Amino acid sequence: MKAVKINPIVLIIINIIAPSMYIFMSGKYLQIYLLVFASALFILMGRFKRLAGFWVVYALMMGLYYLTMQSKGTEFLGLFIIVIVQSVPCIALATILVTKYNSAQLLSALETMHIPRVLVVAVTITLKYIPTFRREFSYITESMRLRGIGFTWKQPVKSFQYFIVPQLFRCAALAEEVTAAGLVKGIDAPMRRTSYYEEKVTFIDALVLIVFAAGLAGGFVWKQML
Amino acid sequence: MEANVIKADDLSFCYEESSEGISDISFTIDEGEIVLLTGNSGSGKSTLLKCLNGLIPSVTEGEMKGLLSIEGENYSDLKMHQLNQLIGSVFQNPRSQFFTDNTTAELVFPMENYGFSPEDMRARLESLKNTFGLDDLLDRDIFSLSSGERQLIALASAVTMKQKVLLFDEPSANLDYGNAMKLGRILKKLRDKGYTVIVADHRFYYLSGVIDKVLFMDDGKLVICNSEDEFKQGSYNTRSFDIFSINIPFSENASQEKTVARLENVCYKDILKGVNLSLNKGEITVLVGNNGAGKTTIAKTLCKSIKPDSGKVDIDGLPFFIMQDPDYQLFGTSVENELELVKKDPKAIDEILEYLGLSKYKYKHPFDLSGGQKQRLQIGMGMLCDRELIVFDEPTSGLDVYSMLNVSKEIKKLKEKAGILVISHDYEFIRHVANRIVYLNDGVIEKDFILDESTLSELNNIFMQMQEEE
Repeated sequence: MKAVKINPIVLIIINIIAPSMYIFMSGKYLQIYLLVFASALFILMGRFKRLAGFWVVYALMMGLYYLTMQSKGTEFLGLFIIVIVQSVPCIALATILVTKYNSAQLLSALETMHIPRVLVVAVTITLKYIPTFRREFSYITESMRLRGIGFTWKQPVKSFQYFIVPQLFRCAALAEEVTAAGLVKGIDAPMRRTSYYEEKVTFIDALVLIVFAAGLAGGFVWKQML
Repeated sequence: MEANVIKADDLSFCYEESSEGISDISFTIDEGEIVLLTGNSGSGKSTLLKCLNGLIPSVTEGEMKGLLSIEGENYSDLKMHQLNQLIGSVFQNPRSQFFTDNTTAELVFPMENYGFSPEDMRARLESLKNTFGLDDLLDRDIFSLSSGERQLIALASAVTMKQKVLLFDEPSANLDYGNAMKLGRILKKLRDKGYTVIVADHRFYYLSGVIDKVLFMDDGKLVICNSEDEFKQGSYNTRSFDIFSINIPFSENASQEKTVARLENVCYKDILKGVNLSLNKGEITVLVGNNGAGKTTIAKTLCKSIKPDSGKVDIDGLPFFIMQDPDYQLFGTSVENELELVKKDPKAIDEILEYLGLSKYKYKHPFDLSGGQKQRLQIGMGMLCDRELIVFDEPTSGLDVYSMLNVSKEIKKLKEKAGILVISHDYEFIRHVANRIVYLNDGVIEKDFILDESTLSELNNIFMQMQEEE
């Protein structure tokens, strides 16, 4: 089966709506629905490895939840875990946004949604910072290993400080550099931005959104019926 | 008549948070000139560059006085996005000068911002592809490119708006010798096409013979040389113009019998193809080769960061590894604390700080030090540690000549207590420190010799060969 390309706007919309729905409808229904929906999207997009990873994390956390729910003393932990479990499908969908699309595509997608430029730029920089952060983090842990500064539970605060302090300095430096890189490329130009990657809304995109909406509507109906 | 493309009149700038800055800067740059902007670290070189690319005053705050104009228009009347249609910037750092991670996306990014139609973008992209020979580089992950390829993308993306003035910030810091020489040739071609090029750099060997004007910053003041020759005759250390003719005494060979690390027939993916290398105490071995030859991979095998597919790595414990970018490996809360993390020996620490001239920074945070000082602090850590092998990855990248000389002196002292492996493409620095040269080409050690009078030509040949390969 050929992997389907989905417009980033669709993913962004789903990512905005899905978590906020927990306020309005039954958590249990939404949790299962989102799990199924996200899995289906992963299959459509041909991201099988990521899907497997997502299931493993999900299963592990559910296991932990049932374990902690066995006794009164740990119940509070279980409740905490279930809140996190409910966000796993959303996070999984968000990772596609960051890994599958480059920042120019994201920027274009957000622009077409008529979100103010300032916000668009801020969101894009933040999203793009995640892979950079991961890369930088691996350099730092590697250099800690070579210097023999390991993480020890004896001194958790001190250990934590060793990798958070350089990271913060990098953040500050990086923020300035990225801003400069954007500015000299005309990111502040007042004209309407165009896009090289024209992301047309296709039939599949519409279908995905309709299915998503139908599922949510189903949730409301289900709630009424109870 | 040639027009002044850029004109500065009594320009001065003072940072908000410190007393540093530049003052009384007046100069003109004509169309089609290649201008070298140089000076030691902290001389105001980057400040002037930031004034030129508009980041001062739009990002960096401070007090600016005087006049600066481009193509007859006053900088203060231009918005950032207007200025950037006239002037293109190429930054030093590959990590952050790209806004996207895909080459095509990066090239069209400015055009998207300025609202080009998709047809115009495609046409412009096609013409950039032809001008810069980007056929194999489109739609690629920027982080998978070599340093030379990345430089080319940075350069192409700086002229997407048909800017005729180009600013380069230390282009040689992240290029190997071959690619730096190639950049020199590209700049010459750009000048012939009518571009005006301003290069801020500590090293300028790759610009030999093409410079029209030198703006030399000395402690916030400007000295102008109207030709390359005039600059060479000045008092500044300009020896590095013709790096092969420099007469540097050979580093004293104090190699001892003791082997500190050995690689036997090491293979790794298709990067290393059977590498044999043994490193001795008291010896400074310099690993040379173009980017992608496998130098860093050798360092990583020695550090046990990667496990070779076959072959044997024989080393006691871990080497002390000093990365190119010190920011990743400074963890202390102060300079003193940084050294204490290596070994708690207050007396030795004081001696080392004294020797490195860092005593007055003892209680400063390591991140407040300059690039050269950070590099020296790392060497101090190397002096204090009890490891048998110390590995340096490009220790002089981005350092001015004087800092480079200091670093050389200190690395030579380090060999008294350990074996040293240096990865470098800085010819002048290599000549200062090397006892032994190991030339790695395409995953194989092609040459391995002791550097002295009789083998110097061999080293020079390697550099010539690296230049041709690129």
